[in-house]
This record gives sequence, C-alpha cells and structure tokens, in this order.
Amino acid sequence: MRHGHGWWLLAPALLLLFVAFILPVGTMVPMSFRPYVPLVGITGGFTARHYVKLVTDSYYLEIIGRTLGLGLIVTGSTLVIGYPLAFFLARTRSRWRSWLTILVVFPLMLNLVVRTFGWIALLAQNGLVNQALQALGVVDGPVKLLFNFVGVFIGLTHIFLPFMVLVLIGAIQNIPRDVEDAARVLGASWGSAFFRVTLPLSAPGILSGSILVFVLTISALVTPRLLGGPTYQVMSTLIYDEFLQRLNWPAGSAQSLLLTVMVLTLVYLSSRLARRTGTGA
Amino acid sequence: MLTPALSVRRLRKSFGSVVAVDEVSLDVAPGEFVSLLGPSGCGKSTLLRTVAGLVEPDGGQVILAGEDITRVAVHRRNLGLVFQSYALFPHMTVFENVAFGLRRRGVGTAELGPRVERMLELVRLGPLGARHPRELSGGQQQRVALARALVLEPRVLLLDEPLSNLDALLRDEMRVELKRLQERLGTTMIFVTHDQAEALILSDRVVVMEAGRVEQIGRPEEVYRRPATAFVARFLGRANFLAGTVAETGATATVVTLDGGGLSVVGGPRPGLVCGQPVRVAIRQESIRLERPGAEAAAPNHCAATIVFHAFAGQAHHYVAQLADGRELEIATPGTTPPLTRGSLTHLAWSPDDVIVLPADAAGPARIP
Repeated sequence: MRHGHGWWLLAPALLLLFVAFILPVGTMVPMSFRPYVPLVGITGGFTARHYVKLVTDSYYLEIIGRTLGLGLIVTGSTLVIGYPLAFFLARTRSRWRSWLTILVVFPLMLNLVVRTFGWIALLAQNGLVNQALQALGVVDGPVKLLFNFVGVFIGLTHIFLPFMVLVLIGAIQNIPRDVEDAARVLGASWGSAFFRVTLPLSAPGILSGSILVFVLTISALVTPRLLGGPTYQVMSTLIYDEFLQRLNWPAGSAQSLLLTVMVLTLVYLSSRLARRTGTGA
Repeated sequence: MLTPALSVRRLRKSFGSVVAVDEVSLDVAPGEFVSLLGPSGCGKSTLLRTVAGLVEPDGGQVILAGEDITRVAVHRRNLGLVFQSYALFPHMTVFENVAFGLRRRGVGTAELGPRVERMLELVRLGPLGARHPRELSGGQQQRVALARALVLEPRVLLLDEPLSNLDALLRDEMRVELKRLQERLGTTMIFVTHDQAEALILSDRVVVMEAGRVEQIGRPEEVYRRPATAFVARFLGRANFLAGTVAETGATATVVTLDGGGLSVVGGPRPGLVCGQPVRVAIRQESIRLERPGAEAAAPNHCAATIVFHAFAGQAHHYVAQLADGRELEIATPGTTPPLTRGSLTHLAWSPDDVIVLPADAAGPARIP
C-alpha cells in the first residue's frame, strides 16, 4: 500500500464516530456547565455545581456506587456461569456443538423489551418463581424479586451472558490443545493444568469479556428501568429522567459525561493491562 | 535380553470407522532410538499419543519397564513428550517452562534451580532462562521443549515430528544435536517422523507404518536395502518397479523374467519364492551404474539404453534411460561423475545384491502414493 492511501478506508467510520459520538459529547460539555433554575429552566452563565453535586451529594454517590457495584457483580456472575459453558463449547467434539452455540446466542435474537417482560412475569409477587419457591416450601410468603437489586441483577446477567460466552469461546479455542497436553505429560493433574496453563492463557478473553459486560451493564437502560422500577435508580435511568422528566439538561449532561469518562478510563486501563501482561487483547 | 524399556502389545485404536492403530506390537530396548516412520495419517502419532496416555486405546497394552501402564493417568507415567508445535507455555519464562515438571513433582527450590540451569546448559540455552518463548527462534524453542522434557529424566522420551517445523538447515543441525544428546544421556527415544532421511540417519531401528499397521521393523540398512513390502520400498528412497515372473530360483540366485518379454533380472537368493510366481522387482536409482558402451561387462544384469533426460541436483545426477523395448528407468549417479548428455548411448548394470524381489500382492500398487 502506498503511503497515506489506506487512511481513506477509515473515512466512513471516522465520519460516523464524529457525527454520532464526538459531536454530541462535544455539545454536552458546554451544556453541563450551564445553570438550571427549577420552574425557569436553563439560564445563561457558568457553574460547576452539577459536577460538585455528583461527587458530594450522597444521593448521587449512592447511584454511582450502585451502578459500579452492579457492573462488577453482573460481570462476575456472567464469568462464573459463562466460563464453564464456553470451555465446554470450545472443547466439545459433539456434533451438537453448533446447535448448542446457537442456543447460547438465541436470547440475543429476541427483542430486549419482550425478554424483560418475560422476566417480570417470572419474578412477580405471584409469578412462576415465587409460586415454585412456595410450593417447594423454601419460603413462606412471596419474596420480593422485582423492582430491586435482585430483579435487575437476574435480568442483566441473562441478557449479557451470551456476550461473555462468545468472547470466551474464541479465547479458549485459541489455546492450543498441545500446550494443555504438554502440561499433563509433565505431571500436572487435570486441575493443576487448568489453573496453571489454561486459565492464565484465557486471560485475554476473560479481560475483554469482562470489560464488554461491565460497560454494557453500567450503561444499560431498558432492563434496569423495567426490572428496577422507578425507585431503583442506576446512572443510565437517572440520566434518562434528568433529560426527559425533569428537563434538567445541564445535570443530565454532567452525569452523561461522567459515565462516558468512566467507560473510556476503563477501556484505556484494560488495554494497558493487556499490553503489559503481553496477552494482547 | 534385557527387559524392554517400552513394550506395546497388540495396541488398537479407532476413531469412528477409521482404524488409526491396528494391532501394533513393538519392543524398544533401553537406550534405543526407534523411529516410527510413515505418511501422514498412518497412525504413528496416534500410537505415540497412546503411549503417552493422551489417547485411550480400544485394546492392547502399553508396558513401561515391565509395568503395565495402559490404564495409568497421563500425569503419572513419567514419560517425556516433545511436540511438533513445541507447545511451550507462552506465559512463562524459559526457566519456568523447564521447571514446570519439577515443580509438579514437588522438587524443592534448592535442587530445582541447579537442575534447570544444568539442563539449559546442556541444550545450549544457558543465558536465555529469563526470556519468554516468543522471544526465541524456532530452533531455540524446540530446544526448550527438549530441555523441559529431559530435565525430568523420563524413562522414555517420545518425540512427535519435533523437527518438522524447522527450516531445512536448522533441521539438519538439530538432528545432529538430538542424536548427540541421546548418546550422551542414554535416554530411550521414540521418534515419529514422515521424513525417511531423518528416520534413517537418527535411528537404531525404524518402524515403517502404513494404514495403522506395521509394515516392517528393522535397522535402517535393513528397511532400505531389504524392504519387506512394496510400500516400504517406495516410501524409503526411490526405486524402479518392474513386474515379472519368477523363472528360476536357487541357492545362489533368483531369475525373474520381466513382463513384456525379453529382459531378465538376476537377483540374490530369495527363499520362499517358487517358479511361475508373479513378482515385482525393485531396483534403486543409485544401484544402477552407467557404463561406457562397448565395455561389455560380465555383470549378470546389464542392458543397452539411451539417456532421455538428465538433471544435475548437486549431490547427484538424475537420469532417465530408455531401454530397447521402450521401458524407462530412473537412475541417480554421484554428482562428482562426469555427466552424460541427452541422447547418449550407454550401458546399464546393477548387482544382483541390489535387486529387491517382492511378492506381487494385490494391495501393493493401490497403496502407492
């Protein structure tokens, strides 16, 4: 390729990035410093109070903490459920393998709202899960599974599990079987070979799968809104309400920018980590 | 005889309808270097992996120094295995790669360091212990793989095409190094290869395999000069194959009349052949001498021919010579001899000792690649 020519291939993507990301984020920066007077609206002037409130007001701090906590827990649960599944799918020689993979991806083909309403039906006070728990005598009365942490956690784990599994399958398939066999022949038991060789070598997949699920979780809107209800707020539902219910665009902009910075920082740190460990993600 | 270091008894393994290893039996003496030689898919790698315990056999036994290990778990066999792909641990340093097996055996730090260092010295990788495998060349990586296996002083070292990923020059170097290492350490080695030259150079004995079965086991000269089957004759070296019928058998010679009439070939005595039996005669390219026309040799096998093709390949001249009846023979003469040009008249001669007479089995030609 002659010097400079290849860059034109990036033009459509760069244009899209500019129009759909840099431009809106750019306009949000000045917006986030505008004062907002209740009942009056956005006024002229300059203020940093939206940011100050975000990092001092316990209401906002709780929501930020809850969002990050939810991100960590959902990432952890998809990893714990997804790794054995991905390991099986990556290593099985069964002729059902492609069907099983389709089964993993299948939830992605259903509309998100439909899936979420499905969970509402299952997790409601008199839903299937509560009925089953009571019939089995595990609990006496109905358990609150909806419009709280449990509901959001179950819903998000379900919708993001396929992403984790697909990333992990790729990573595990990239580990040569010979390397595992070598560990076994050298005297490692199955468990020892797994923890000393297979697991460390799937680290790039664990890292990228975790980043993906974490970022998707902290910016998910529909599932937390429907399964968390109006009171269980996370950052994305807060931003949504700020813009569309309270019409407080400056505060919403500040919150959006904070979320964007958190995501970008995370992606940057993970790529640094990947490069440093030489695993290359 | 000493207890064999390794015995394989009637080992069988199928993958679905494909029989990969078909009733293979083999004894390997302590300190011996044995090659399993055959084309890809002949079952040689499956046999090796079954011995290592990575593949579970359908039947038969693997006996290590008198002890039946057929059902012993992979990690308790104390065998070494070197892979074609090297299979080093990419996330560990060279030192840690070599130390891996020692650590699994609970060798203490005080003993571990010196043992790893000594082994790295032995494979000439002394100063590279802190590197990661990806920072090494292919040859260095393969030496790490050797060191990693040998540091455990395995009872038998299994090598699965270890040199096939190296370029030609490095492969020659590593061959010599491997052979020296084996002579120095006295480790019993079983070496899988599809490269006949490699098998002949390295081995005390060669096991030629095809379609899961052993075709022949013998010293390199035996399998090369006295192949038991047409497959072995074709797989090792290049030969001219001629169909014919046994005309005479005796204590000193066997005479075969070639199909198409006229020509007879005299071979050494071959007990077991009867007159009228259809056979195939194989004559190696390099067994045929080119003699000046007119020098009517007293040799039992000689005939006039015309050179129809000549090429120089460094170590050898390659010729195709056409006989009076139109038959063509391939001939290789040392590269140091003066070449004959195309169209030259010449005389071909070969010794009865170099004539290979094989029973004309029906399966023979079909399996020839």
